[in-house]
Amino acid sequence: MPASKTPSTSQKSSAAVASTTTKQTQQQVTGTTNAIQTLFKAYNETTSSRLKLVDAFLVFLMLSGISQFLYCILVTNFPFNAFLAGFGSNVGQFVLTASLRAQVNPENRTVFKDVSPERAFADFVLGSIVLHFFVYNFLG
Amino acid sequence: MGLLSFCLLSLLAIAGVDAAQLSLQSPRFTISSGDASQLRSEPISLKQRPEPLKLAPTDVLKLSFQVVEKDGEKGVQPHQTFLRFFDAVSGEEGIQPVRVSSSGKAKFELNMAKPPGSIPPTTAENPLNVSLLLGSFEHSPARYELFDLFLPASQSAPPHELEHTFHPQPLIHHTFRPEQKVPPRIISAAGAILVLAPWVVLVGFLAHIKPSVPQLLSINIFPFIATLGASEALLFWYWVDLKLGDVLLYGGVLALFTAAAGKKALATKGDLRVGRK
Repeated sequence: MPASKTPSTSQKSSAAVASTTTKQTQQQVTGTTNAIQTLFKAYNETTSSRLKLVDAFLVFLMLSGISQFLYCILVTNFPFNAFLAGFGSNVGQFVLTASLRAQVNPENRTVFKDVSPERAFADFVLGSIVLHFFVYNFLG
Repeated sequence: MGLLSFCLLSLLAIAGVDAAQLSLQSPRFTISSGDASQLRSEPISLKQRPEPLKLAPTDVLKLSFQVVEKDGEKGVQPHQTFLRFFDAVSGEEGIQPVRVSSSGKAKFELNMAKPPGSIPPTTAENPLNVSLLLGSFEHSPARYELFDLFLPASQSAPPHELEHTFHPQPLIHHTFRPEQKVPPRIISAAGAILVLAPWVVLVGFLAHIKPSVPQLLSINIFPFIATLGASEALLFWYWVDLKLGDVLLYGGVLALFTAAAGKKALATKGDLRVGRK
């Protein structure tokens, strides 16, 4: 009876398609997880502790800026000058730190041939002090 | 040059003393109505004023006289001849020039249907004192009080288009934005926790990375760290108490020490990095 066979065939085929899709999704998730794990493992193994320290500081600055921005949007921007000081401090310090990281990274040695890590750190310190001076001005 | 100026000034002074006087001959006024009928006509005595003159809105005042030298009959054309209309109550005056012929004869007409603009504003109660002013380079100036003149009251001046701006204006009420409010304490506390949370993450990272700074307390590096800390402390002090001039002065002095200590510390660090020590 073809009329009774046809639905069961279509149900089987749709179930097969769903099963295939689920498998593909699982594979994709697994692949992504593996990629992240591989990346994290490679980062842990190949990155020096100094650069990790700089990266930790960059992550801290990013999270701090995000949290202050969320507070400003969700709760209040009062006092606005304090928000500007805090957020500007985060952004400015992030830029200075990223610049330091780029200059002290051994893989960029060919790019920054004339800039020693000590010189880069001196620039970072000077820029940070000037930035903090302006930030304290804004604090009010 | 000085002697010449002295002589000229002396001559001018003598000429001024001896300048001839001006006088009026046969001064007369005539008032006629709008239909040319004569209402009043009298000679003017320079020693006693006539009865005050009154002009209706359509009347015409005619004034005639001849300017002569005081001691003779010779007509003189003064260089300046004016009629002065003066309101003693309001203090306002109007000056009207009078044309005088070369023989010294002059006629003046005041038509109230077309009054000149130089007449001061008038009221029905206060007369205008009319006087004649004569000025000449060759004669002494002269002034004659002619008569008192009642003119029809002036119409009120039409309001100027900006006249309303000279009245008291309505008060200006400034509208300010409402004062910003501090959020409730619990929301502030939650926000503070949210903003401080990244510090926990940083401490966690530091605990995981365990950075080692073996030369931190060495005699060459620690002064740099100490001056950096002092710089940040100075900025904090600036926030709390100091003025801009103070922090610039202290910061300038501290910057010298920081630069010297930094140069030494970073040079030491560089030597350690390249293995020279």
